Order: sequence, then C-alpha cells, then structure tokens
Amino acid sequence: QGTQVKDVIIKPDAPSSLLLDKHADYIAAYGSKKDDYEYTLSEYLRMSGIYWGLTVMDLMSQLPRMNRAEIIDFIKACQHECGGISASIGHDPHLLYTLSAVQILSLYDNMDAINIDKVVDPFHTLFGIAGLSLLGDEQIKPVNPVLCMPEDVLQRVSLQPDLLS
Amino acid sequence: MIVESLYKYVDYILYKLIIIPALWGLLIFCLLQHGRVKIKSTAQQEEEKRKEREKKLKIYVAARDACFSKRKDGVWDDEALQLTQQLLSSNPDFATLWNYRREILMHLETVKLVWLTAELFFLESCLKVNPKSYGSWHHRGWVSARLPRPDWARELSLCDRCLSLDDRNFHCWDYRRMVVKMSGVPVDKELEFTDRLIGSNFSNYSSWHYRSTLLPLLHPESPEPPSPICEEQLLKEYELVQNAFFTDPNDQSAWFYYRWLLGRGMYVRFPVHETYWLLLSNINMYVISFTQRQSSLNYRIITSNRILCYIWPKGIKSAQYFMFLLYVLLLTGRNESWCRDSATDQELFRSELSVEKTSVLQSELQSCNQLQELEPLNKWCLLTIILLMRALDPLGYEKETLAHFQTLKEVDSMRSAYYSDLCSKFMIENTILKMEYAEVRVFSISDKNLTTLCHLDQLLLVTHINLSSNQLQRLPPQFAMLQCLEVLEADNNSIESLEGVYHLPKLEEILLRNNKISTLADLQPLASCPKLKRLDLRGNPITQTSSIESQLAELLPSVTELLL
Repeated sequence: QGTQVKDVIIKPDAPSSLLLDKHADYIAAYGSKKDDYEYTLSEYLRMSGIYWGLTVMDLMSQLPRMNRAEIIDFIKACQHECGGISASIGHDPHLLYTLSAVQILSLYDNMDAINIDKVVDPFHTLFGIAGLSLLGDEQIKPVNPVLCMPEDVLQRVSLQPDLLS
Repeated sequence: MIVESLYKYVDYILYKLIIIPALWGLLIFCLLQHGRVKIKSTAQQEEEKRKEREKKLKIYVAARDACFSKRKDGVWDDEALQLTQQLLSSNPDFATLWNYRREILMHLETVKLVWLTAELFFLESCLKVNPKSYGSWHHRGWVSARLPRPDWARELSLCDRCLSLDDRNFHCWDYRRMVVKMSGVPVDKELEFTDRLIGSNFSNYSSWHYRSTLLPLLHPESPEPPSPICEEQLLKEYELVQNAFFTDPNDQSAWFYYRWLLGRGMYVRFPVHETYWLLLSNINMYVISFTQRQSSLNYRIITSNRILCYIWPKGIKSAQYFMFLLYVLLLTGRNESWCRDSATDQELFRSELSVEKTSVLQSELQSCNQLQELEPLNKWCLLTIILLMRALDPLGYEKETLAHFQTLKEVDSMRSAYYSDLCSKFMIENTILKMEYAEVRVFSISDKNLTTLCHLDQLLLVTHINLSSNQLQRLPPQFAMLQCLEVLEADNNSIESLEGVYHLPKLEEILLRNNKISTLADLQPLASCPKLKRLDLRGNPITQTSSIESQLAELLPSVTELLL
C-alpha cells in the first residue's frame, strides 16, 4: 500500500566509514559503460546524471578524474536553437536539463561554453532562480552549484562542500 | 470419411515414424552423453544473461536511432508510431519520444481518429510499468483533452484504481483534479470521495489536503468571524479531525489539517498602528514605516544611500503620506518626527477573535490538553497546544508555553533549534506586547534563551536595546532598521557577526562583553556608525590579537572609550 518502503537493515559488522575511493572509482567508471542496458535506457536524463556524478566527485575532491573537455563538448552539442538544453544529443530541450547543464558549467567555471543570452529565457520562473544565480545574475544571491543552496545559508549552517576531502 | 482417414494417416506418420524414433534418438544421445552432462555454471548463466541483455540493447538502440532519424526527416507514419510504442512500453520516461508521438498523432488525426482511443489503452500499460512517470500522465491528459467525447467516468475509475495502490501518488491526484474540472464533477461528490478515503485510512495527507481545497468552495468563508469555511461546517470538521488524531496521534496529516481549520485565529496579526518616521540629516537618510491593520506586512530593505528601508502596506496611499511628511518636515525644519497611534497597541499581535471564536478555540484547547494527558510525549499535540495558547492569551499563558517548549525540545530533540527559534519569536512578541506606551523607547529582553531576532520592524523607535545573556550568534542585516538606536547592550551571547550594525546614525554605545567576535573584519560594519563613542569588547577572542588597539583606533576613530 502506498510507496514501497525500501528499508535496509545495516549489519553490525558493516564498515563505519565511507569507502570514498570505491565510490569515486564507481562514478569515474560509470560513464564508460556505454554498452550497458540501464545506462542507455536512462539517456533521457543523462545531463542530470552527469551533474549528480560530478557533484559527488567534487565533494570528494576527485573532480579532476572526470573528463572535463568531453563533458563540455557534450553540453555544447545539446544546446538547441531556442537556447534550451536537452538531456542528451538528439533529445528535446527541457528546463530540468538546462539547469543541470548550467550547474555543470558552473562547477567547471566555463559558462561561456553555451549561448548565455538564449539560455536565460527558460529561467524566468522561480524554479530557475538557482540557474540565474549561477549564470551571474547580480540581483540574486550567489548559489553554491554543488549543494544547490545559497552560499550565505551554507555559511550559516557551517556546511562546507569539501567536507569529505 | 476421407478426412478421417487422412487424419489417421497423418497421425500414423507423425506418431510412429517421426516422434517415437526421435525420442529414441534423444534417449540414445543422452546415454552417450552420460558422464558428460553439463550443469550450467553461474559463470555460464551470467554469460547468457549478458548476451541476452546485449541483444535487448541492440534492439533498443536500433529502434531509438530509427526514431530519431525519422523525426529528423520529418516522417510521421505508422511505423514511427510502432517504434515509439515499442520503446515507450518499456521506458515511459523517455520524454522526447512522447513529444514525437504527439507530433505523429496530430498528423494522423486528420487521417485516423481511432488512434487516440487506442492511445488510452497503450497508456494504461505504460502506467502499470511506472505509475509515477511524468511523461505518461501528461500524455494521457493531452489525449483525453483532444477526444471529441472523452469517457471521464473511465478516467475517474482509473484514478481510483491508481490511488488504491498508492494514495499519495501526486501525478494521479493532479490528473484527477484535471478530470474533475473538465467533466464538471460537483464539489459535494468529490467531498464524499474524500470522506471515503479518509474513512478507510486516516493517514492520508493528500485526501485531507484535497478536502481543504473543496470545503471553502462548498461552504464559503464568512468574514465575521474570519474563518476559511462557515462556522457550522467548521465544527463538524473539528469533530472529524479530532477522531483522526485521537485515533492516531502520531500521524501528521490530521494535525496539519487541524491547524488549517483553526486557521487565521491561530496566527498573529500584524501591527495595527501607523508609525511614520523620517530623519533628515546631512547624509539624507530616510526611514519610512507604514503599517496598517488587516494588511499583510510587506517590507523591503534597499541598501542605497537614499532609502534604507521602507515598509509598504497594501491599500494605503503611501506615496501621498510620504510627500505630506516630507513637506511638513522641510517646512518645520525638524530633525525627527514621529507619530504613533497608541490606542490600538493592545491588538498588536492578537487576531481579532470574536467571542464565538474564542470559545471554540478554548474548547479545542481543552480537547488537546486531554490528549496531552494521554500522550505526554506527542510533539504534534504539544505544538498545537502552544499555538492555541498564543492565539488565546499570549501573555497569560507565557509560563505554560515555556514549559511546553522545554518538553518539546526533549521529545523532538532533532528539531530543538527550530523550537528555540520559535520560542524566541514568541518571547520577543510578548516583550513587545508588554511595552506599555508608545513613549517607552527601551526594549529589554535579556536572559530569555533567545536564539534569533525577529519583528525588528516593530522596534524602529527604540533608543536603548538590551539583548544580554541570550544565545544570539549574529545581529542580522534587519538590525539596521533600528535607526533611532543609541545604546546596544548585548553582553554574554555568542555573537560572531555584526553585519546588521551599520549606518546607525545615533548609535553611541555598544556593549559586547563575552561574545565571539574574533577578527577585525567582524567589526567592519561599525565603521559606518559616525557617533560611536564607547565599545566594550572584553571577553572576546579578538582581544588576543596583537596590536588590536591600534587597528581599532584606525578603523573606528570616533571611539573614545575602548574596553578590551
């Protein structure tokens, strides 16, 4: 009844510290599984998937292991005429993936890879405030691209993204 | 007869000449293999699985690429429909394909209307695969809206089935709302629907919420006394929801609905007096505050030199007031001018409770207290009691409120910071209420475990503020609204940030003993307070910095009395 409860019981002898290296290895290798069935099926959210992987690597200070140039080229190939960005090449543009792309470019400090003026239009919604902030809009507080929260809030709760390094 | 013998003949051949020898052959073969019978190893099974998935992947990729290339070429034919169907049945979240499918359907519509009806069946199977796929629900809505005679009853029964599997599936709820709207289902029938759902399961947040949107339509609001629905229906709802939270006090849905019912009687209404205040000095700073009864308070702080902050009420001809005041001040050449309507101070944080409403709230408070005796550790009950007491008599119930907050923090320790902040807010409200006359310009709220500051816009006329012995960590930007402030006492806190202590033109004395000021940068905002004479920083980490005295002399030249 309702959403399935997928609770997991952690065994008492399970490791008590994060196996960061293994996690980093997994994510670093994930993108290369291009012949994997699930990987192909999830193509419709590829841009967001890349973003999620990159933020975790950044939290673990392992971002350099990812192929920056390849990812930026991918993003460029995904921007459409209207300015919106799609999840993957050949897919339709969508606000969700436009936001993810902007977040990735912010992580890589390479916002010029896309046509900024054209991108801004989809963001004229409250939902897009984070996106606008990352694109350098001055009227909006700076937003941390990894944690997707305003920087001053992060400072107030003393949450630093490099927590795990 | 001929047919019969034919059958016999075939039977003979099939059976005698083919099958039996084949079986013998198989047996011999197996015997020959005896000793060499292989059981498939896990490795082999893995390999087989891998090959199978590879095959599946190939088919999928071929279909996907075919779709993309057809779309590129602008082809909208049956084959495209087949391909998208094949892909979407196993992967209904592939949004781009739904877009393509719609393009195809729109093109085919002129040719074959029957496609749309078939689409609904297809969608049902997609929804079985993933009942929470945005793409599928959206598409179904699109199709339903385009049918010349949609079968809304069927759509409603689909929603019922979906909700019986998962009563919080918001996709389904949204779709249901659309169906109700398009087909004009009467509100009372929908209300009955929520009755059924809630009756079978009290823990149904979505149903309660839906109910809260339906009731105001059926039993509209009465302005006197102010409540979201008419009084009579309200009482019935109270009974219903009390059943729910007495049955299961830990289920939050009922509590949230209850708070909605108690409605505006529960929340403090804002200031009812008008304060306007202008300061003309050689730096041309104006602070304008307009507040009004029965309006929501809108305020903004604009950090420019000309306007530091203004509070703009709704429906008041503010611009006119402003011009008038400016005119008066310029003419009279005064430095300060203010006016306050003290008669209405009493109702500062109280809502306008009618006698009936008060008695209703009192009986609700009684019920909650009863429950609290049965369930002393239930946080929802405690919190609701606190809110009810605030609505009825904030000052009278102050002691009980503090005691309940203490219990709350123990019972729900993960949210103790939230409760501390909420309690701080209530203590500040009480202190403001106790400020008897408009002429009293001293605000003292020490030793009240304050963790946060709020309602600073109520303190615009305060000249002397005492915040000592609390747990404050910062003086937030809104603090700069206290434009009349002359003395700031904030000893014995945990203050690290003074970001709100800037551009305070009358501030002369700041007492910050035993806080957490640690760097010179922390004191930077003070440089914009031109009249600052006395600064007490004893017991702060910054005093350990070498040559701090000279650095401070440079940063704050107006200060003559510095205590380290």
